[in-house]
Amino acid sequence: MTKGRLTLGLLLLFGLPCQAEIDEFELVLKEHLFYPARLEVPAGRKVKLVIHNQDDTPEEFDSFDLNREKVIFPNRKATVYIGPLKPGVYDFFGEFNPNTARGQVVAVRQEGGNAD
Amino acid sequence: MKNQFLAAASLLVCCLAQADGYVVDKVYHPNVLPDEQRLEWRFMSRQNDDRNVLAQRIGYGHSLSEYVTMEAYIVGERDRDDNFGLQAYELESRWMLTDQGKYWADWGLVFELEKQHKQDAWEATSGLVMEKEFGRNSLTMNWFLVYEWGKALHNEFETEFRMQYRFRWKPQVQPSIELFVGEDFVGLGPALMGVQRFDGQRQLKWELGFISEVSGVVKDHTLRFVLEYEF
Repeated sequence: MTKGRLTLGLLLLFGLPCQAEIDEFELVLKEHLFYPARLEVPAGRKVKLVIHNQDDTPEEFDSFDLNREKVIFPNRKATVYIGPLKPGVYDFFGEFNPNTARGQVVAVRQEGGNAD
Repeated sequence: MKNQFLAAASLLVCCLAQADGYVVDKVYHPNVLPDEQRLEWRFMSRQNDDRNVLAQRIGYGHSLSEYVTMEAYIVGERDRDDNFGLQAYELESRWMLTDQGKYWADWGLVFELEKQHKQDAWEATSGLVMEKEFGRNSLTMNWFLVYEWGKALHNEFETEFRMQYRFRWKPQVQPSIELFVGEDFVGLGPALMGVQRFDGQRQLKWELGFISEVSGVVKDHTLRFVLEYEF
Protein backbone atom coordinates (compact mmCIF):
# COMPACT_ATOMS: atom_id res chain seq x y z
CA MET A 1 0.00 0.00 0.00
CA THR A 2 2.79 2.36 1.00
CA LYS A 3 4.87 1.39 -2.02
CA GLY A 4 1.85 1.89 -4.25
CA ARG A 5 1.24 5.38 -2.96
CA LEU A 6 4.90 6.27 -3.29
CA THR A 7 5.01 5.03 -6.88
CA LEU A 8 1.82 6.86 -7.74
CA GLY A 9 3.15 10.07 -6.21
CA LEU A 10 6.45 9.85 -8.08
CA LEU A 11 4.72 9.11 -11.36
CA LEU A 12 2.46 12.09 -10.84
CA LEU A 13 5.39 14.38 -10.05
CA PHE A 14 7.62 13.19 -12.88
CA GLY A 15 4.71 13.15 -15.26
CA LEU A 16 3.70 16.73 -14.71
CA PRO A 17 4.05 18.83 -17.84
CA CYS A 18 7.47 20.37 -17.42
CA GLN A 19 8.88 21.56 -20.67
CA ALA A 20 7.35 23.41 -23.54
CA GLU A 21 9.71 25.19 -25.92
CA ILE A 22 12.43 26.98 -24.01
CA ASP A 23 13.97 30.20 -25.33
CA GLU A 24 17.74 30.07 -25.45
CA PHE A 25 20.08 32.96 -24.67
CA GLU A 26 23.85 33.08 -24.87
CA LEU A 27 26.35 34.61 -22.47
CA VAL A 28 30.05 34.77 -23.18
CA LEU A 29 32.71 34.95 -20.50
CA LYS A 30 35.92 36.45 -21.80
CA GLU A 31 38.80 37.89 -19.79
CA HIS A 32 36.61 37.48 -16.70
CA LEU A 33 33.83 39.67 -18.08
CA PHE A 34 30.32 38.61 -19.05
CA TYR A 35 28.99 39.64 -22.49
CA PRO A 36 26.37 40.98 -22.53
CA ALA A 37 26.55 42.23 -18.99
CA ARG A 38 22.83 42.99 -19.09
CA LEU A 39 20.71 40.28 -20.64
CA GLU A 40 16.99 40.74 -21.28
CA VAL A 41 14.79 37.66 -21.05
CA PRO A 42 11.02 37.29 -21.16
CA ALA A 43 9.31 37.33 -17.76
CA GLY A 44 6.98 34.50 -16.85
CA ARG A 45 8.80 31.88 -18.93
CA LYS A 46 11.55 29.42 -18.29
CA VAL A 47 14.66 30.26 -20.31
CA LYS A 48 17.93 28.53 -21.04
CA LEU A 49 21.23 30.39 -20.63
CA VAL A 50 24.13 28.89 -22.52
CA ILE A 51 27.31 30.31 -21.02
CA HIS A 52 30.50 29.97 -23.03
CA ASN A 53 33.64 30.32 -20.94
CA GLN A 54 36.33 31.48 -23.37
CA ASP A 55 38.90 31.91 -20.61
CA ASP A 56 41.58 29.40 -19.72
CA THR A 57 40.41 29.22 -16.11
CA PRO A 58 37.20 27.84 -14.64
CA GLU A 59 34.44 30.12 -13.45
CA GLU A 60 31.37 29.58 -11.30
CA PHE A 61 28.18 31.31 -12.38
CA ASP A 62 26.53 32.33 -9.13
CA SER A 63 23.29 34.16 -8.40
CA PHE A 64 21.37 34.26 -5.15
CA ASP A 65 18.59 36.18 -6.94
CA LEU A 66 18.22 33.42 -9.52
CA ASN A 67 19.06 30.64 -7.03
CA ARG A 68 21.66 29.16 -9.36
CA GLU A 69 25.26 27.96 -9.06
CA LYS A 70 27.05 26.34 -11.99
CA VAL A 71 30.72 25.68 -12.65
CA ILE A 72 31.84 26.43 -16.21
CA PHE A 73 35.07 24.70 -17.16
CA PRO A 74 37.70 26.53 -19.27
CA ASN A 75 36.82 26.81 -22.96
CA ARG A 76 33.60 24.93 -22.41
CA LYS A 77 29.90 25.74 -22.46
CA ALA A 78 27.48 25.22 -19.58
CA THR A 79 23.71 25.47 -19.48
CA VAL A 80 21.76 27.18 -16.74
CA TYR A 81 17.95 27.03 -16.66
CA ILE A 82 16.24 29.98 -15.00
CA GLY A 83 12.72 31.19 -14.38
CA PRO A 84 9.88 31.64 -14.81
CA LEU A 85 10.86 35.05 -13.44
CA LYS A 86 8.76 37.96 -12.32
CA PRO A 87 9.61 41.20 -14.13
CA GLY A 88 12.70 42.67 -12.51
CA VAL A 89 16.47 42.72 -12.31
CA TYR A 90 18.43 39.69 -11.13
CA ASP A 91 22.16 40.00 -10.37
CA PHE A 92 24.70 37.32 -11.13
CA PHE A 93 28.49 37.10 -10.83
CA GLY A 94 31.46 34.83 -11.37
CA GLU A 95 32.48 33.44 -8.02
CA PHE A 96 36.18 33.21 -8.93
CA ASN A 97 36.34 36.79 -10.26
CA PRO A 98 33.55 38.60 -8.45
CA ASN A 99 34.99 42.08 -9.03
CA THR A 100 34.95 41.89 -12.82
CA ALA A 101 32.65 39.04 -13.82
CA ARG A 102 29.31 40.61 -12.98
CA GLY A 103 26.04 40.93 -14.83
CA GLN A 104 22.29 41.20 -14.65
CA VAL A 105 19.38 39.28 -16.07
CA VAL A 106 16.48 41.61 -16.74
CA ALA A 107 13.12 39.87 -16.93
CA VAL A 108 10.84 41.93 -19.18
CA ARG A 109 7.10 41.58 -19.37
CA GLN A 110 6.09 40.48 -22.87
CA GLU A 111 3.25 42.09 -24.82
CA GLY A 112 0.22 39.88 -24.20
CA GLY A 113 2.30 37.66 -21.92
CA ASN A 114 1.12 36.31 -18.60
CA ALA A 115 4.01 37.33 -16.37
CA ASP A 116 2.75 38.21 -12.92
CA MET B 1 -0.79 23.43 -12.00
CA LYS B 2 -1.12 24.34 -8.32
CA ASN B 3 -3.79 21.70 -7.82
CA GLN B 4 -1.61 19.08 -9.48
CA PHE B 5 1.25 20.00 -7.21
CA LEU B 6 -0.88 19.94 -4.07
CA ALA B 7 -2.30 16.56 -5.02
CA ALA B 8 1.16 15.16 -5.66
CA ALA B 9 2.62 16.64 -2.50
CA SER B 10 -0.25 15.31 -0.39
CA LEU B 11 0.22 11.84 -1.80
CA LEU B 12 3.91 11.86 -1.09
CA VAL B 13 3.67 13.31 2.39
CA CYS B 14 1.05 10.74 3.25
CA CYS B 15 3.42 7.88 2.54
CA LEU B 16 3.80 6.32 5.95
CA ALA B 17 7.18 7.10 7.50
CA GLN B 18 8.59 4.78 10.13
CA ALA B 19 11.94 5.00 11.89
CA ASP B 20 13.01 4.58 15.49
CA GLY B 21 16.37 6.37 15.32
CA TYR B 22 16.97 10.10 15.53
CA VAL B 23 14.75 11.42 12.81
CA VAL B 24 15.74 15.08 13.16
CA ASP B 25 18.78 15.70 10.99
CA LYS B 26 19.86 17.67 7.98
CA VAL B 27 17.41 18.17 5.12
CA TYR B 28 19.34 17.32 1.97
CA HIS B 29 19.29 19.42 -1.19
CA PRO B 30 19.76 17.84 -4.62
CA ASN B 31 22.47 20.06 -6.10
CA VAL B 32 26.12 19.10 -6.41
CA LEU B 33 29.00 21.29 -7.59
CA PRO B 34 32.18 19.85 -9.14
CA ASP B 35 35.66 20.39 -7.70
CA GLU B 36 34.28 21.19 -4.29
CA GLN B 37 35.57 20.08 -0.90
CA ARG B 38 33.80 20.59 2.39
CA LEU B 39 34.26 20.23 6.11
CA GLU B 40 31.08 19.75 8.08
CA TRP B 41 30.14 19.81 11.73
CA ARG B 42 26.66 18.73 12.81
CA PHE B 43 25.37 19.14 16.34
CA MET B 44 22.13 17.68 17.67
CA SER B 45 20.77 17.95 21.20
CA ARG B 46 17.54 16.11 21.94
CA GLN B 47 15.78 16.69 25.24
CA ASN B 48 12.88 14.57 26.45
CA ASP B 49 11.43 13.75 29.87
CA ASP B 50 14.05 11.07 30.54
CA ARG B 51 17.34 12.43 29.32
CA ASN B 52 19.33 14.56 26.97
CA VAL B 53 20.93 13.01 23.91
CA LEU B 54 23.88 14.84 22.46
CA ALA B 55 25.26 13.81 19.09
CA GLN B 56 27.88 15.45 16.94
CA ARG B 57 29.40 14.48 13.65
CA ILE B 58 32.36 15.77 11.76
CA GLY B 59 32.70 15.09 8.07
CA TYR B 60 34.90 15.69 5.07
CA GLY B 61 33.45 15.66 1.57
CA HIS B 62 34.75 15.89 -1.96
CA SER B 63 32.93 16.10 -5.29
CA LEU B 64 33.83 13.16 -7.50
CA SER B 65 32.27 14.64 -10.64
CA GLU B 66 29.79 17.25 -11.80
CA TYR B 67 26.96 15.13 -10.41
CA VAL B 68 28.34 13.00 -7.56
CA THR B 69 29.83 13.89 -4.21
CA MET B 70 31.15 11.67 -1.42
CA GLU B 71 31.48 12.45 2.27
CA ALA B 72 32.91 10.54 5.25
CA TYR B 73 31.85 11.20 8.85
CA ILE B 74 32.80 10.20 12.33
CA VAL B 75 29.93 10.37 14.79
CA GLY B 76 30.23 11.09 18.49
CA GLU B 77 27.45 10.65 21.02
CA ARG B 78 26.92 11.04 24.76
CA ASP B 79 25.95 7.75 26.39
CA ARG B 80 23.70 7.05 29.35
CA ASP B 81 26.64 7.52 31.72
CA ASP B 82 27.18 11.03 30.37
CA ASN B 83 30.40 10.08 28.64
CA PHE B 84 30.88 11.52 25.20
CA GLY B 85 32.71 9.22 22.81
CA LEU B 86 33.03 7.79 19.34
CA GLN B 87 29.79 6.18 18.29
CA ALA B 88 29.85 5.43 14.57
CA TYR B 89 31.44 5.93 11.16
CA GLU B 90 29.53 6.86 8.05
CA LEU B 91 30.03 7.13 4.31
CA GLU B 92 27.59 9.24 2.34
CA SER B 93 27.15 9.87 -1.36
CA ARG B 94 24.83 12.38 -3.01
CA TRP B 95 23.86 12.21 -6.66
CA MET B 96 22.38 15.10 -8.62
CA LEU B 97 19.93 13.55 -11.07
CA THR B 98 18.69 16.64 -12.90
CA ASP B 99 20.17 20.02 -13.79
CA GLN B 100 18.95 22.78 -11.52
CA GLY B 101 15.80 24.36 -12.94
CA LYS B 102 15.57 22.16 -16.02
CA TYR B 103 12.46 20.27 -14.99
CA TRP B 104 9.41 20.97 -12.89
CA ALA B 105 11.50 20.11 -9.83
CA ASP B 106 15.12 19.21 -9.11
CA TRP B 107 15.88 15.62 -8.10
CA GLY B 108 18.74 13.83 -6.38
CA LEU B 109 19.65 10.68 -4.48
CA VAL B 110 21.41 10.09 -1.17
CA PHE B 111 23.11 6.85 -0.10
CA GLU B 112 24.55 6.31 3.37
CA LEU B 113 26.35 3.42 5.04
CA GLU B 114 26.91 3.64 8.79
CA LYS B 115 28.64 1.25 11.20
CA GLN B 116 28.47 1.53 14.96
CA HIS B 117 31.85 1.69 16.67
CA LYS B 118 32.95 -1.67 18.16
CA GLN B 119 29.55 -3.21 17.45
CA ASP B 120 28.17 -5.40 14.72
CA ALA B 121 25.48 -2.90 13.87
CA TRP B 122 25.08 -1.51 10.36
CA GLU B 123 22.68 0.85 8.69
CA ALA B 124 22.24 1.42 4.95
CA THR B 125 20.07 4.28 3.76
CA SER B 126 18.74 5.20 0.33
CA GLY B 127 17.04 8.52 -0.11
CA LEU B 128 15.20 10.44 -2.78
CA VAL B 129 15.62 14.21 -2.68
CA MET B 130 13.38 16.77 -4.37
CA GLU B 131 13.46 20.56 -4.46
CA LYS B 132 10.86 22.82 -6.04
CA GLU B 133 11.17 26.60 -6.38
CA PHE B 134 8.30 29.02 -6.00
CA GLY B 135 9.84 32.41 -6.72
CA ARG B 136 11.96 33.17 -3.65
CA ASN B 137 10.65 30.12 -1.80
CA SER B 138 11.97 26.57 -1.98
CA LEU B 139 10.25 23.37 -0.94
CA THR B 140 12.66 20.50 -0.25
CA MET B 141 11.55 16.96 0.54
CA ASN B 142 13.58 13.86 1.45
CA TRP B 143 12.26 10.28 1.55
CA PHE B 144 14.52 7.67 3.11
CA LEU B 145 14.43 3.89 3.20
CA VAL B 146 16.71 2.57 5.96
CA TYR B 147 17.82 -1.02 6.51
CA GLU B 148 19.48 -1.96 9.81
CA TRP B 149 21.27 -5.23 10.39
CA GLY B 150 23.91 -6.90 12.54
CA LYS B 151 24.23 -8.96 15.71
CA ALA B 152 23.74 -5.95 17.94
CA LEU B 153 20.27 -5.06 16.66
CA HIS B 154 17.17 -6.43 15.01
CA ASN B 155 17.25 -6.55 11.25
CA GLU B 156 14.56 -4.23 10.00
CA PHE B 157 13.48 -1.72 7.38
CA GLU B 158 12.48 1.80 8.36
CA THR B 159 11.29 4.85 6.49
CA GLU B 160 11.76 8.55 7.18
CA PHE B 161 10.47 11.76 5.70
CA ARG B 162 11.95 15.24 5.98
CA MET B 163 10.57 18.48 4.57
CA GLN B 164 11.78 22.07 4.57
CA TYR B 165 9.91 25.12 3.28
CA ARG B 166 12.43 27.96 2.97
CA PHE B 167 12.17 31.64 2.15
CA ARG B 168 15.37 32.85 0.45
CA TRP B 169 15.29 36.31 2.02
CA LYS B 170 19.00 37.12 2.06
CA PRO B 171 22.01 34.84 1.53
CA GLN B 172 22.85 35.03 5.23
CA VAL B 173 19.28 34.74 6.51
CA GLN B 174 16.90 32.18 5.04
CA PRO B 175 14.12 31.24 7.48
CA SER B 176 12.28 27.98 7.06
CA ILE B 177 9.81 25.55 8.58
CA GLU B 178 10.95 21.95 8.90
CA LEU B 179 8.95 18.75 9.31
CA PHE B 180 10.40 15.37 10.28
CA VAL B 181 8.39 12.14 10.30
CA GLY B 182 9.53 8.74 11.56
CA GLU B 183 8.17 5.88 13.63
CA ASP B 184 6.25 7.34 16.57
CA PHE B 185 7.68 10.74 15.79
CA VAL B 186 6.35 13.81 14.04
CA GLY B 187 8.51 16.88 14.61
CA LEU B 188 7.88 20.39 13.43
CA GLY B 189 9.68 23.64 14.03
CA PRO B 190 11.38 26.77 12.76
CA ALA B 191 14.86 26.81 11.29
CA LEU B 192 17.27 29.29 9.85
CA MET B 193 19.96 28.76 7.28
CA GLY B 194 22.46 31.06 5.62
CA VAL B 195 25.61 31.32 3.59
CA GLN B 196 28.53 33.73 3.69
CA ARG B 197 30.71 33.78 0.59
CA PHE B 198 34.41 34.48 0.59
CA ASP B 199 36.94 34.56 -2.23
CA GLY B 200 36.74 31.92 -4.91
CA GLN B 201 34.72 28.83 -4.10
CA ARG B 202 35.08 29.33 -0.35
CA GLN B 203 31.88 29.76 1.59
CA LEU B 204 30.51 29.11 5.05
CA LYS B 205 27.01 27.68 5.41
CA TRP B 206 25.03 27.29 8.59
CA GLU B 207 21.72 25.83 9.66
CA LEU B 208 19.95 26.14 13.00
CA GLY B 209 16.65 24.49 13.82
CA PHE B 210 14.48 23.84 16.86
CA ILE B 211 12.14 20.92 16.31
CA SER B 212 9.38 19.89 18.71
CA GLU B 213 7.63 16.56 18.69
CA VAL B 214 3.97 17.21 18.00
CA SER B 215 2.32 13.80 17.88
CA GLY B 216 2.60 12.86 21.56
CA VAL B 217 2.07 14.40 24.96
CA VAL B 218 5.61 13.96 26.26
CA LYS B 219 8.33 16.56 26.05
CA ASP B 220 10.65 15.98 23.10
CA HIS B 221 12.63 18.88 21.64
CA THR B 222 15.64 18.81 19.36
CA LEU B 223 18.08 21.60 18.68
CA ARG B 224 20.08 20.98 15.53
CA PHE B 225 22.97 22.97 14.16
CA VAL B 226 25.13 22.52 11.05
CA LEU B 227 28.26 24.41 10.10
CA GLU B 228 29.72 23.67 6.68
CA TYR B 229 32.83 25.17 5.14
CA GLU B 230 33.15 24.68 1.38
CA PHE B 231 36.36 25.30 -0.47
